[in-house]
Amino acid sequence: MAADSIGGVVGEHNTQADFWRKNVPSNRPREFVLIICFVLLLLMFSVTALVSRLYHMKIHTLADQWYAQGDAAFHAGDAKTAIVDYRNALVYSPNNSVFQLHLAQALVSAARFEEARSYLVNLLAESPGSGEINLELARISARQRAWLDAVRYYHSAIYGVWDADPLVQRWNVRKELCRFLLDRGDVAGAQPEVLALAQEVPPGDIQRQKEAAALLLRTGSWARALQDFQVILKQSRGDQDALVGAAIASYQLNKYAEALDYFEKLHRSTALDQNGEGMLQTARQVEMADPFRRGLSAAERATRAAAALAQARSRVSDCSRQHGEAISQTPPATDLQMLYATAQGMSKDWTEANLARHPDRIDPAMSLAFQMEDASAQQCGEPQNGTDRILWMLDRSREGVAQ
Amino acid sequence: MSDPVSQIAQPPQIPQAEVTPVASELTPPPGRIRSLWRFWTREIFTGSEDRLFLFLAILIGIFSGLAVVCFRVAIEWTQFAVLGSTLAPTVPRVFLAPAIAGLGIAFLVMKVFPQSRGSGVNQTKAAVYVLNGYISFKTVIGKFIVCALAIGSGQSLGPEDPSLQIGAGIASAIGRSLKLSQKKIRLIAPVGAAAGLAAAFNAPISAVVFVIEEVIGTWSAGVLGAIVLAAVSSVVTMRYFLGPESLFRVPPIQIAHPAEFIAYAVLGLAGGAISLIFLKWIAYARPRIQKLPRWSKYLQPAAAGLLIGLVGIRLPQVMGAGYSVIDEALHGQFAWHLLLLLAVVKLLTTGISFLSGTPGGMFAPALFIGAMLGGSVGAMEHHFFPRLTVTIGTFALVGMGTFFAGFLRVPITSIFMVIELSGNYSAALPVMVSSLIAYFISRRFQAIPLFDMLTRQDGLILPSIEERREQVSLVVEDAMQPEMAIVAAPADTLAVLAARLGENAQGPILLRARVGEWRLLDPAEVRRLASDPLNTHTAGDIPSKGPLPMIFPDEVLEEVLRWAGDWPVLPVVNRGDLGKLEGVLALADILHAFRKASAE
Repeated sequence: MAADSIGGVVGEHNTQADFWRKNVPSNRPREFVLIICFVLLLLMFSVTALVSRLYHMKIHTLADQWYAQGDAAFHAGDAKTAIVDYRNALVYSPNNSVFQLHLAQALVSAARFEEARSYLVNLLAESPGSGEINLELARISARQRAWLDAVRYYHSAIYGVWDADPLVQRWNVRKELCRFLLDRGDVAGAQPEVLALAQEVPPGDIQRQKEAAALLLRTGSWARALQDFQVILKQSRGDQDALVGAAIASYQLNKYAEALDYFEKLHRSTALDQNGEGMLQTARQVEMADPFRRGLSAAERATRAAAALAQARSRVSDCSRQHGEAISQTPPATDLQMLYATAQGMSKDWTEANLARHPDRIDPAMSLAFQMEDASAQQCGEPQNGTDRILWMLDRSREGVAQ
Repeated sequence: MSDPVSQIAQPPQIPQAEVTPVASELTPPPGRIRSLWRFWTREIFTGSEDRLFLFLAILIGIFSGLAVVCFRVAIEWTQFAVLGSTLAPTVPRVFLAPAIAGLGIAFLVMKVFPQSRGSGVNQTKAAVYVLNGYISFKTVIGKFIVCALAIGSGQSLGPEDPSLQIGAGIASAIGRSLKLSQKKIRLIAPVGAAAGLAAAFNAPISAVVFVIEEVIGTWSAGVLGAIVLAAVSSVVTMRYFLGPESLFRVPPIQIAHPAEFIAYAVLGLAGGAISLIFLKWIAYARPRIQKLPRWSKYLQPAAAGLLIGLVGIRLPQVMGAGYSVIDEALHGQFAWHLLLLLAVVKLLTTGISFLSGTPGGMFAPALFIGAMLGGSVGAMEHHFFPRLTVTIGTFALVGMGTFFAGFLRVPITSIFMVIELSGNYSAALPVMVSSLIAYFISRRFQAIPLFDMLTRQDGLILPSIEERREQVSLVVEDAMQPEMAIVAAPADTLAVLAARLGENAQGPILLRARVGEWRLLDPAEVRRLASDPLNTHTAGDIPSKGPLPMIFPDEVLEEVLRWAGDWPVLPVVNRGDLGKLEGVLALADILHAFRKASAE
């Protein structure tokens, strides 16, 4: 039997047990022993209370210290250190949902989505209505391309419970959802969300109005976007973002004059992106070609109308040739031939000089030019660039004005 | 058949002379403190010892709860002091702390507290079966100090088994101080053990079941009430100071499809295999390490600490009890390969710590290994079957119970433990499947369970609870003689009886005096009276012995033995019809049945 075995211990114990049986006084009354037990119990209770109090103080201090360190690391962008610190904090306060949420956020930042999801799912089981937890789960689902889950969690976050600034938080989550949907190209899904977002902008909050209007632009809700940008511009005339947004919305609504007006109000220092720059140039060209623009002299109007008519005739002729048809045929058979024949028939009346002398002829002349451009567009496709494109856009613009 | 434990577990016989106080005696005279004191002291101390025992169970529970709170705090404080407060301590601390602490542990164990060796479970069993419930208070103090130092310094051991022994030691001390009877002192140690374990686990049901399943081995009403009271009061005390939180935060569990049980069965196979490897390793290595020279025992804990420190530089998770790591595994925080690595390394470090003679428990490491193993098996199954809906955390939880059942061979405790820790009955079915598979694999290839193996290596033969659990008791049906007796009705004439006696010369004659009353007739007397042609007496008229005690075919033979000596034969009757004789039983039949069973 080994010396350090139970058997060895039993041997020693046996000796002690025998000694105890022989030597412990037997006349001690039970009442007395029990009183001693109670006194000892009280003493031990007090000692344990003191010890546990000190222990809890130490634990709380450690938890707070590690949490603070984790927060500092997280805000400094060091997610890895933050994770370790948050985990240390959780050792001392394992049920602290704030610590768990922050750890999950740090794990998301470190792209450790599964670990983060695990914490968040547990937290969600405890408080299923939490907006914050649902939002984090939505972000993870979005990063993991689980689209349906992401949308579900985003909606739960929007309609969830938020401790501070619930309206603002919900608005921000909806904005994030809109961006998520638009980034995925789900414009149809984003449209109602963006409209709701625009609806929920607190009055007077220009920044949010701008954000909502920018999202409206992304969903193609031009009229509503223009309206919102105009509201912003009423409050803040020189707001560069709003001017750009309004210009783009106007341009997309074929309101080139208005778009140009907004573009021209921009500071020189405001740089437009390539798309905006292109819009500006196009709007300028449309304005340069528009014979109906206010303030033009009769001669200038006649010049622009005659140029438009000549351009339209040329476009019809080219289009007809593309289809292998002669443009001059008697009697005219196709729309293009008829329009061309009409234009040829009126060519003497609609010379630049005659149009200058008779400004009332400009309207029918331009009307014919637009008809020729429309017919050509139907036969040969929309013009993609050049003067034909400008003329075609001018036509759209006029239709918009007429409507 | 009689053994020490069945004696222990017998409910104490209340002496016939004991008189229950009448109602008027129970009411003390109002307004007199002295009378009140006398009343209570009479009720508790000088009345039935059973009443005092139940009262003491509560007291022991509170004491054990307080001791376990202090023990847990002591472990934490030691850890703060030695390893620091972070999950990833600095390299010098990790490397040096367990080794230096190991030197101190060895000195304390060899020189000051030799009784504090081991995990605590076997020592408590030995106290119950060998030492009449005696555990010295020095053992309690030694266990407290040495285990706090060992676990706090990063040795791969847990606090549950030591808590069990601390509770048992406190109970033993209280029982001795109050001069309880020998029988009660033997019973009081398991009561304290349950209290200590319940407080350490924060799981009273598991603690009660473990003590019943592993320490005393029987569901005796005499001790069950005290054990439950002690466990509950200790847990309440512990929760008062440390809060109601479970050891681990368990994620929600859901069984989506019955096919998932196949996945749990695979986990059961893996758990059974790994627990078997661990058992075999301990069985092989422990006797060899114990044979090393005595001086080496001063260095063994330090050497173990050094090895654990080396491992801890890369894998600090394996140091200490590892509750927080289990918690992380339950929340799917580790990849499968890390889980598997942690399971293997924890198995090695726990084995090293235990074999080095460092005092400390095996419960927490078993849970750790099980959780990591379960998590890794779950993650691998997820890899191959991505449509599996069970979370890795659920596998980790079930893995805890599986390894626990396979390694410690306590399947019922493991099932209750998982249910209690998870607070979810959905966990019961998976853990039942995998635990039982692991248990059967372990039992098939390792006949002797861990605790029995350790005591046998130490030269003690304590009763094996597992063997007793699986022992099938012989019943009356196994021993009775079905067609031996002649049944006589009171109206039967002696001539008829004598004629039947001629057919069956050996058989006794049982007289069915009326339904439920059987008497014994003397065959020689019947023959003598029947030989007189003028005698017209019936069976009811002649003298008979009885009434005989009736026994039933399903009664345990040990129970029947108490009557078998007093009567030549006993009638075995049908429970549904007390007038129907199924057979007869004699003492010789019982002894023959026992002999036959032993030979088989």
